[in-house]
Amino acid sequence: MLLISAIGAADESGDFLRRVQRRDGRALAQLYDRYGRIVYALILRIVRNRAAAEDLVQETFLRVWNHARSFDAHKGAAGPWLLAVARNRSIDYLRSQEGRDRDLAVFDENARPQRYPAGETGMQFPERAALVKQALARLSENQRQVIELAYFEGLSQTEMAARLRQPLGTVKTWVRAALAQLRQTMEAGAAE
Amino acid sequence: MSCDELREHYELYALGVAEEPERGEIQAHLERHCALCQSGVQQALQLVALMGAAAPAAAPPARLRRRVLASAGVVEHHYGWPLVWAAAALLCFSAAVYFSGRERQFAEESLLLRRQLGDRTTELRRFQDALAILTAPGTTEVSFGKGQPAPPTGRVFVNPGRGVIMIASHLPPAPAGWTYQMWIIPKRGLPRPAGLFQARSDDTAMHFAPGPVDVAATAAVAVTVETSAGASQPTSQPLIVAALPAPGR
Repeated sequence: MLLISAIGAADESGDFLRRVQRRDGRALAQLYDRYGRIVYALILRIVRNRAAAEDLVQETFLRVWNHARSFDAHKGAAGPWLLAVARNRSIDYLRSQEGRDRDLAVFDENARPQRYPAGETGMQFPERAALVKQALARLSENQRQVIELAYFEGLSQTEMAARLRQPLGTVKTWVRAALAQLRQTMEAGAAE
Repeated sequence: MSCDELREHYELYALGVAEEPERGEIQAHLERHCALCQSGVQQALQLVALMGAAAPAAAPPARLRRRVLASAGVVEHHYGWPLVWAAAALLCFSAAVYFSGRERQFAEESLLLRRQLGDRTTELRRFQDALAILTAPGTTEVSFGKGQPAPPTGRVFVNPGRGVIMIASHLPPAPAGWTYQMWIIPKRGLPRPAGLFQARSDDTAMHFAPGPVDVAATAAVAVTVETSAGASQPTSQPLIVAALPAPGR
């Protein structure tokens, strides 16, 4: 579990959030300067519409501004929380646009700030993000495809099976194998 | 189910694809503050959240930064002009007072500047009131334009005690001789005028209509194009309709 701990490592953006909690507008500006680009890129990848992406970026940062008080800035990793909020809002938008089921209870739970504590090592957000990106690149095509369908499109395993015209059991195997490989690759990377 | 049995489902849960009964079991463990499951799920969430870094690089437009900060009520350079105007007017007013005993002309200027300062102070107070709505308790927030074939898009914030603020993008300035007019649409009865405004040259707009709003009796906030004098009732199809959610939702 060494590497997974590293993913939640001390995040200097916690300092921004402490100041955001005190309603310091310059801190929000700095938080945007640091994470605005990656949040926009993520949202655009999910919704594939620039106008909607801009609305959702605004919504994401406004949500952080309004909910920063529930975030433990002394222990928390702001980057992953921001990305989780951005993904959550984007998947909600995508599902509403496509008339899909919008039961997002798990997504909402997973975007709560309390769920994003920092870990024990000194890795910073860019290092952690790069590690995950490398790990994704090492997956087989099938494995990467199901992870992307789940992460970027919010599809359930049943929905993925229908989309890919594959048996549900096959899709489940790909998803589990992909997640296991991600965990192992990243653990190995952190140990290096 | 035991924590050991749930361990291999943490990432599935974090990704949002866990199925029953494991999903419900993990949720139950988290709700009773099971330390092992909390730690495992938190680590899985960090891993999953960082998958966002795999998105292709894309640069947001520069205006988005101003928009984000403005929507959070953060006044930077973009919306700093009321303060600059107030300071400049105060400076001019002081100078005018200094010279007023020597020249009648200065006395007249003093009066003019005093009025300008009063206007700016009022404007600044309105601006601060508007920003306060964004974070005030009890504010209802609704978006408009999403999924519509054409812009504008944006958000409306309604506070029962303070008023309504609308932030829009992709809204070009109204043609010469015309203006935008906001309306509070009640569930029963005629629309109530809520002020005239213009869009900025970068196709964004922010309009604040102060005063109490009966949210439960309000169906929507709308915007129409009207002649520059405004209208007592809408004369055109609304460009913007932000429907308020039903009470209790």
